[in-house]
Amino acid sequence: MLEVKNVSKYYGQGHTRVTALDGVSMAVNDGDYVAIMGPSGSGKSTLVNIIGGLDSLSCGEIHLDGKRIDDRNENSLVELRRGEIAYIFQQYHLLPSLTAVENVMLPLTFAGTRADQSTALKMLEEVGLGKRGHHRPAQLSGGEQQRVAIARALVGKPRLILADEPTGNMDRKTGAQIMALFDFLNKEGHTIITVTHDPAVAELAHRLIMLEDGKITEDRPTTAVCG
Amino acid sequence: MKLFQVVLKDISSRKKRLFYAALGVAVGTMTIIGILTVADAGQQRIYDQLDKYGPNILVTPAITSLDMQMGNMNLGTVSVGDNYIEESKLPAIKKTGNDILAPLNAHTSSDLVTLAPKLYVNTEINGTKIVAVGIDSRYEMSVKLWWEVSRGSYIFDPHDALAGSMVSELLGINPGDSIDLNGTGFTVAGVLASTGSDDDYRVFVPLNTLQQAFDKEGLISSVDVRGCCTTCPIEEVADGINNAVTGIRAVAIKQVAASEMGMMEKVSSTMLSLSGITLAVGLFGVANTMLASVNERLKDIGIMRAVGASRRQIVKIFTYEALAIGILGGLLGYAAGNMLAFALGPFIFEGIEIAFIPVYLPLSIGVATLISVVATGYPAFRATKFKVADSFRSL
Repeated sequence: MLEVKNVSKYYGQGHTRVTALDGVSMAVNDGDYVAIMGPSGSGKSTLVNIIGGLDSLSCGEIHLDGKRIDDRNENSLVELRRGEIAYIFQQYHLLPSLTAVENVMLPLTFAGTRADQSTALKMLEEVGLGKRGHHRPAQLSGGEQQRVAIARALVGKPRLILADEPTGNMDRKTGAQIMALFDFLNKEGHTIITVTHDPAVAELAHRLIMLEDGKITEDRPTTAVCG
Repeated sequence: MKLFQVVLKDISSRKKRLFYAALGVAVGTMTIIGILTVADAGQQRIYDQLDKYGPNILVTPAITSLDMQMGNMNLGTVSVGDNYIEESKLPAIKKTGNDILAPLNAHTSSDLVTLAPKLYVNTEINGTKIVAVGIDSRYEMSVKLWWEVSRGSYIFDPHDALAGSMVSELLGINPGDSIDLNGTGFTVAGVLASTGSDDDYRVFVPLNTLQQAFDKEGLISSVDVRGCCTTCPIEEVADGINNAVTGIRAVAIKQVAASEMGMMEKVSSTMLSLSGITLAVGLFGVANTMLASVNERLKDIGIMRAVGASRRQIVKIFTYEALAIGILGGLLGYAAGNMLAFALGPFIFEGIEIAFIPVYLPLSIGVATLISVVATGYPAFRATKFKVADSFRSL
């Protein structure tokens, strides 16, 4: 499904140049559940941002279903974000002026599809927030906000979900609930790539990729698969 | 949910910023609406005067001022010509007018012009200096259609007098009172209603009596000529009188009004160009506010783009916001412009009556919206140029 070919990313120029990713290559199959781990500054977030077209790469190629996507223009990337790929961020990134249900409706609004509340409320029910739909983000806990963000990611029926430390701001119990939700989504057929610091969270995935100094140092199945 | 609903929700959470941006535009539109409203009232006043005076011509003695010079030294001016018109010239003036208008009004055989001669003299009543005007009581009312006798009656007797409203008030003259003008006695027959003109400060008596009282038999100061038709070529009549009768100068009142109107238009256009500067300032104000808004909402823009907003949709969002600023700014500008006009208008053009002009409301909103949308162009363009990841990274 996804192929990352020799991707590098540099920030700055000359002697101030910083290498965030250094020749990273990996392949992700349909239905995979991949965790990317590594110390701070190892390039984890940069990698998922580049895969999803939120950031540009310096060299290398990204292919989705055999088609190159890293050289696409902004309009073409918008199409990807409206169905193929969805993001879940550590900071939730909900619009504070909109209620939970309106935040969930946002991708449908931008995609120009019929954005009625019932679809969004159904999504919120799926993530266990059916009764909090008309609350604003400021009135929700961190875990609830992340559930809203997950419902927003799911509403466009994406094939690939990219999550950047989705439990990073949560206590262990709430984090476990969110990860259980991820497990459920993966079983439903969504391909998931998640960045995490937490080994316990990473072990819930089926495959673990370790990054260090912008390079993949380990790529193995997790105990969730191996038992 | 529609895109504009997203914008409305966002706007409602940032009312203050929207209000300040709208205020910037409102200052510009306020000056434009204020100027236009005052200018409109001024023009209306001139039109009213024009309607009042109708197709009239004012005939005065032809006096020329000559500059007296010796070498390069200016020795002042000398007036050349008589200060009065001989009454004997009236038939010639009337004939010229009738001759010019006759071919255009073949259906009538009566006089096509009415002459209302006047003699002005400076005199005193009970020690107070006033201007007494000798009039031909048969014709004066025909040229001054707006005259109304508020108390008493019009003058019919050779020794009747008609007092202007202010003269009556200031000197305590009322119908039935006797007044003395240069040794000749008059009885106040009536008092005129206020006209808002110099007539309020004058006393009107029969022309012949005044001529005798001041030894000015056969002399008049001016003649009002009224054409008895609504579309008379009055400038043509004035030219004809000037050519046919010597020692006089005939000016169509319409020309005077037109010249006043021209001056008014010049003043208005100058003031409007100045208000363009305030609009430009408003434009930069909105641009500045919108740029600040873009920087402040970088994260929100990033979120929207991450969940599928296209660049065009981001520009649309800012355009909707600009429309909201423009509409609010236009409404505020219209209200403030009218207040400005009501407050300052009477000081700029004395005696004008300011009125709300509803047609300026869409104009105000239109100008404010245009300014706001233009000012938003660059900030909106900038908002689409960020990489989504950068908008999160910059936080």
